[in-house]
Amino acid sequence: MMKIKELIKKNIGKTALLEHEVKALLKEMGFPVPKGIFVDKEMVEQIPMIVDISYPVVAKVSSSRIVSKSEVNGVRIGLKNEIELKKAVLELLQIEDAEGALIEEMAAPGIEVIIGGVVDEQFGPVVMFGLGGFFVELFKDVAFALAPIEKEDALWLVNQIKGYRLLEGYREKPPVDINTLLEIIVKVSGIIATGLIKEIDLNPVSLYPQGAMVLDAKILNILLSRKI
Amino acid sequence: MEKKVYTTSLDFLFYPRSIALIGAAHTEEKLAGVILKNLLRFRGRVYPVNPKYTELMGLKAYPSLAEIPEFIDLSIIVRPASEMPQILKEHKGKARCGIIVSAGFAEIGENKLQDEIKKIARDISIRILGPNCMGVYNPYQRLDTFFLSQERLKRPKMGNVAVISQSGAILSCLFGAIRSANIGISKAVNYGNAVDIDESDLYEYLANDEYSDVVISYIESLGDGRKFIERARVLSEKKSFIILKSGKGLSGQAAAYSHTGRLAGRYEVFSSILKQFGIKEAMDFDELVDTAKAISYQGTFKKSPLFTKRGVGGIGKRVLIVTNGGGSGVLAADECIRQGLDVAKLPKNRIGKLGQIFPYYYTINNPFDLTAQVRNEDYIITLNELKDDYDGFLIIALTGVMGVTEKLGVLMGNVKKNISKPIVFHVGHDRVSRKLIAILEKARIPVYPSPERAVKGLKALLNC
Repeated sequence: MMKIKELIKKNIGKTALLEHEVKALLKEMGFPVPKGIFVDKEMVEQIPMIVDISYPVVAKVSSSRIVSKSEVNGVRIGLKNEIELKKAVLELLQIEDAEGALIEEMAAPGIEVIIGGVVDEQFGPVVMFGLGGFFVELFKDVAFALAPIEKEDALWLVNQIKGYRLLEGYREKPPVDINTLLEIIVKVSGIIATGLIKEIDLNPVSLYPQGAMVLDAKILNILLSRKI
Repeated sequence: MEKKVYTTSLDFLFYPRSIALIGAAHTEEKLAGVILKNLLRFRGRVYPVNPKYTELMGLKAYPSLAEIPEFIDLSIIVRPASEMPQILKEHKGKARCGIIVSAGFAEIGENKLQDEIKKIARDISIRILGPNCMGVYNPYQRLDTFFLSQERLKRPKMGNVAVISQSGAILSCLFGAIRSANIGISKAVNYGNAVDIDESDLYEYLANDEYSDVVISYIESLGDGRKFIERARVLSEKKSFIILKSGKGLSGQAAAYSHTGRLAGRYEVFSSILKQFGIKEAMDFDELVDTAKAISYQGTFKKSPLFTKRGVGGIGKRVLIVTNGGGSGVLAADECIRQGLDVAKLPKNRIGKLGQIFPYYYTINNPFDLTAQVRNEDYIITLNELKDDYDGFLIIALTGVMGVTEKLGVLMGNVKKNISKPIVFHVGHDRVSRKLIAILEKARIPVYPSPERAVKGLKALLNC
């Protein structure tokens, strides 16, 4: 946890972190993130040379001012080659407020969950878990716990949601890697409990029978938000 | 009065030896007049303070607090909010504890005035309850600081349930409900704006209160959430503790940046954290009272080795429903399912034997239907046969039929001793039922006015 604190502190003073910066930070903290690269307007022409990842890829608009990428049609998936990728990135850069685009290897489909943390006005740091994707929008099937928590409490938290059975392997689907899930929850609870971050959002995290992948993430730095 | 040992400052709030009433009035048309009348029953010394009178309701009146010839344990202040800073300052070295009944502070946006009295209280080392509150009721001391007349709002009898309410209105409604539920109370507090003594302080106090086995708490808003959780956790380890929170629809941080922030509604976070620490929450007013009643009557039962800090496991959740009305039994079973209780089938070996004992038209199942042809003894036979197969028992006795009489109450009292497992009753209301209910409740079997509410009482006893 000391390392996490150091890593957060290193980023104090930056304006709201872009997705690739958040993911670089998460990777250093030991979270599984897709292999990816950030490109801005100047780099578009060099795409064939600089992209060292295997197709198909996904390209996403990057901006500290865009809250929902899908609402501005800012995600292109299943890009099979350099031509498709370049075309997609050029389109994404046309979006209002775009600061660049993040190109990532396509992750395998899994069960999507949301893991987050906020500093609650009454209780201070709390960690949240819920089913991701449209489940979280539609059913708000989420649960909270005071942070930080240990694995035992993380397991309790996971059990609180109504959709828990999906994780156990529903209709012949294999169960997800609960242990990895719990490790991620514990780690997020530790990050929010440092008191240095105001909000953290890993949404979605794709869960697999073995392992997991953080597909999108946001961090709002508490010190930044107070304009120190 | 037994000798009270004073160990914490809150002892003076609940066990004062002397009380001053600042702003005392001569008539019950005024709040301070009602309070004075209620204080006439108090066994300690009462000093009304009002410079306009030399005598109030038969007591010598004092022109000021300073004139009272002793150090006061509890001062009750009923004066306009604007005078409060000055009045409080006069308490320096003169009183240990104060109840500020008056409104007109943060609840109407007068935060500055509230902060000022908070600071004064701290500076002169006096503990304050309120402002904007009714204070305390301790039937064991005949202490009643409420501005509600006892003729209008009858007080509950003495008992083992402590009631804490942020709202005075809800506390008065709880008094009514608690009385009709035939529950006794140990202490009641309305703490209002909580400039000093807040819910957490009261939890800490009640955790060590020998008169209270059950504590119920109605909350609108919290001060320090972490302190609240810590004290609530300790209290729920020592007593049966149930919270009712209002304001469930309030949204989360509106300007949140993340999904998590938008989803973190104040109530959702609150409710999750209660569960995390194994603290019981009632969903509504009735459930709060029904749950308190069950535990007040039968206490908590020994927990199984599987019991965890969150109550998972409890003492088991297999429920037997014995009824003489089919529909009532089904409603009870439906509610059991909603509440996560197990209306488990009868063991096969018991069915045969009970089939031989009872007429063919009884439904030997769960719910166990003794029909309109029931006799009192049938309930007893059924319970004795099946007592080892279930964790809790819900008995429905509709007294419109001739076979059910008040004698059932006496028989049940004896059965309860043999079974020593949770038993609750639902009885319909008619002429016979009043007597039956009285006998059952004397035997500490809680009776409820509907099948669903009986289930909630039973659930509380099963600790699920």
